[in-house]
Amino acid sequence: MKGYIMRKERGSQPLCLWHVSPNAMRLSRLLRMSRRDTLLAGMSAALAGSIGVAVAQDQQPSDQRSSNTEDLPVEEFMALSRRLTDRAELDQRIGDALCAGIVHGNAARAEQIHALHDLLTKGNFASASEFAHAAETQDKAYKDVVHEIMTGWYRGVADGKVVVYRSALMFDITKDAVYPKTYASGGPFYWTAKPPEVAVPTGQPAMSPSKFVVEPT
Amino acid sequence: MSSEQNLSADVVIVGSGVAGSSIANELARAGISVIVLEAGPRVDRQHFVENFRNLENKPSYQGPFPAVPWAQHPPDQQTPNEYLHTSGPDAEAYQQVYLRMMGGTTWHWAGCAWRYLPSDFELKTRYGQGRDWALKYDDLEPFYYQAEVMMGVCGPDPAVEDLGSPRKQVYPMDALPISYAAQQFRKLISEKTPWRVVHEPQARNTRPYDRRPTCEGHNNCMPICPIGAMYNGSYSVYDAEAAGAKFIPNAVVYKIERDSANKRVTALHYFDPDKGSHRVTGKYFVIAAHCIETAKLLLVSADEQSPEGVANSSGHVGRNMMDHTGVQVTFISGGEAWWPGRGPLETNVIDNFRDGPWRNERGAYLVHMVDDNQVDLATQLAISKGYVGRELEEQIRYLASHTVRLFSHNEGLADPDNRLTLNKTKKDMLGIPHPDVYYKLPEYTVRSCENTREVFRQMIGLMHGTDEQWTPGYFPQDHPAGSTIMGVDPKDSVVDGHCRTHDHDNLFIASSSVFSSVGTGNITLTVAALALRVADTLKKELIHA
Repeated sequence: MKGYIMRKERGSQPLCLWHVSPNAMRLSRLLRMSRRDTLLAGMSAALAGSIGVAVAQDQQPSDQRSSNTEDLPVEEFMALSRRLTDRAELDQRIGDALCAGIVHGNAARAEQIHALHDLLTKGNFASASEFAHAAETQDKAYKDVVHEIMTGWYRGVADGKVVVYRSALMFDITKDAVYPKTYASGGPFYWTAKPPEVAVPTGQPAMSPSKFVVEPT
Repeated sequence: MSSEQNLSADVVIVGSGVAGSSIANELARAGISVIVLEAGPRVDRQHFVENFRNLENKPSYQGPFPAVPWAQHPPDQQTPNEYLHTSGPDAEAYQQVYLRMMGGTTWHWAGCAWRYLPSDFELKTRYGQGRDWALKYDDLEPFYYQAEVMMGVCGPDPAVEDLGSPRKQVYPMDALPISYAAQQFRKLISEKTPWRVVHEPQARNTRPYDRRPTCEGHNNCMPICPIGAMYNGSYSVYDAEAAGAKFIPNAVVYKIERDSANKRVTALHYFDPDKGSHRVTGKYFVIAAHCIETAKLLLVSADEQSPEGVANSSGHVGRNMMDHTGVQVTFISGGEAWWPGRGPLETNVIDNFRDGPWRNERGAYLVHMVDDNQVDLATQLAISKGYVGRELEEQIRYLASHTVRLFSHNEGLADPDNRLTLNKTKKDMLGIPHPDVYYKLPEYTVRSCENTREVFRQMIGLMHGTDEQWTPGYFPQDHPAGSTIMGVDPKDSVVDGHCRTHDHDNLFIASSSVFSSVGTGNITLTVAALALRVADTLKKELIHA
């Protein structure tokens, strides 16, 4: 019984432990892998040719995390994000939250974002790929920062938590074919119609591949 | 601490999933008093949907359903596990997940509502393998239809697409129109192989039905349908309550009390979350607590009268654990863009391997081409490959539109050595032991899986697939069965053909735990049909009494 809310303390909301955030629950399991986790672990390696380092980072102790939002390098983060997505415009409010999440997850990211911004402003990079390649060439550690920025904008996730779901860019670029789960609005039996064709990609990776960790089901 | 309440009903049921709630509904509508004891909490759909949307790991079926500490369930399918402890050569193949919540595990099923084949009930007689059930398909046929009406099952016209289980009525709703991806898959299989792709019967609305809406194709049947177009046990809970049944959440049954002759059950004892103990008396008792929790409860109730556990004079409680252990492969198709993930998750099946003369040597199986949205997976993959910017977006679109996933349900076989026992050291906050399961995949199932792999390789070739990734080993399909096996001989079975325990006249079990073989179709419709047959038996006995 120790550690759980006792009857007198529960008051009128007695049995709501189910309501805890699933994001919080999964943090302790972030790096665990099972057989099913390895289902696609090799796919990225197979497609890209070799295995690099794990994307996931250990969680930082809370006393090392930045909690002062005024100290966040938000404008530098936004400039980096525009370059790395090849997009002229990105939502500032989402950017604020992603930057806060990324720095909260790893306080060292603030300085890395600053350094990457320096690289960006001193160079003349015509594309996301050019810049990402230069970043990894300068310091291998920057690859993880780029991954986190990409994960933030395209998956809507930072620091292992959902920042945005429907507004993640992965859904923006596939909205002509599929809906975010739980948000379909195509009308009755929309799924029977032919979806758009997709050409075989011609672009190349900008950085070295990393091990892909599929999270547990 | 003990309750001063006098809790009593004609029928007391443990578990509020599809089995327990549908029995409660049938009995309450007949004027019979019912109490249902549910170990977990009552939670509304909207909270599960909210949890899902805020879940970073979207494929986690258990993720939106955090357990309460007094009614733990497996948090995931990982071995070792925080609750269901598996061991043996194929420990990971039995890492099942399920829910202890009001409404039960059908909160996160896919709505696949298969009838078993007549041969599934006669595996020993027809093929010399495993066991026969103590009932025939024809005994269950009326209850299959009753279950289909209760759940709202859509399916193909049997005159056009015969699924092998004889029907006296057509499905309550027309078959679900399949997605473009499934249409192309069906065309390919039809033109290039001797097999066929059929419409999967599903407890999913293809028109407004039973006050629930038509499916909108949110592609999230698992872990949670956001609009209730798919049946789940909570609807039978609501119906039963409206008819007068009393459901008590957070009531963890820990003891089954019997009379001095040990022939009849007299009461159930449950703990509330503060470990206050309560006693509930009744005339009849039904354990409908999921395959694993049902066996656990019978074993936990061991005492001087029944030192090996209640209803366990045969020694078979907890034995014969089965599942549809599966084979799974994911690959990138070299053909046109199918864009899986448009519409419901599971709509089509290759059913040619569900029965055949080869079943005397290897188990049957069915094949799903899973229609799940691959955008998130594609994004993670493309990022890990080192893409950024425009090239990343190209990759996401290509991978999301060309990823194909196939998996199978392969037939398990009753083996007494595959056994659930009580963990000797790990207990929940109420002091109730966690379940352990020893599992070795039967050779019959291994041979079935080998055959499936060969079939999958042919399909990958037909689709010019690349980058194929096979799930290592075997993976659990969360269809556990067999832990209180049905049979005609009380020496080697726990319940008879009416799901009444051999040992206790007024104790019934309504669960996949009574299955004598596991066939290939998803288990829920058969669980519901057996439960409705239990309700029919109880009505006859109580009303005539």
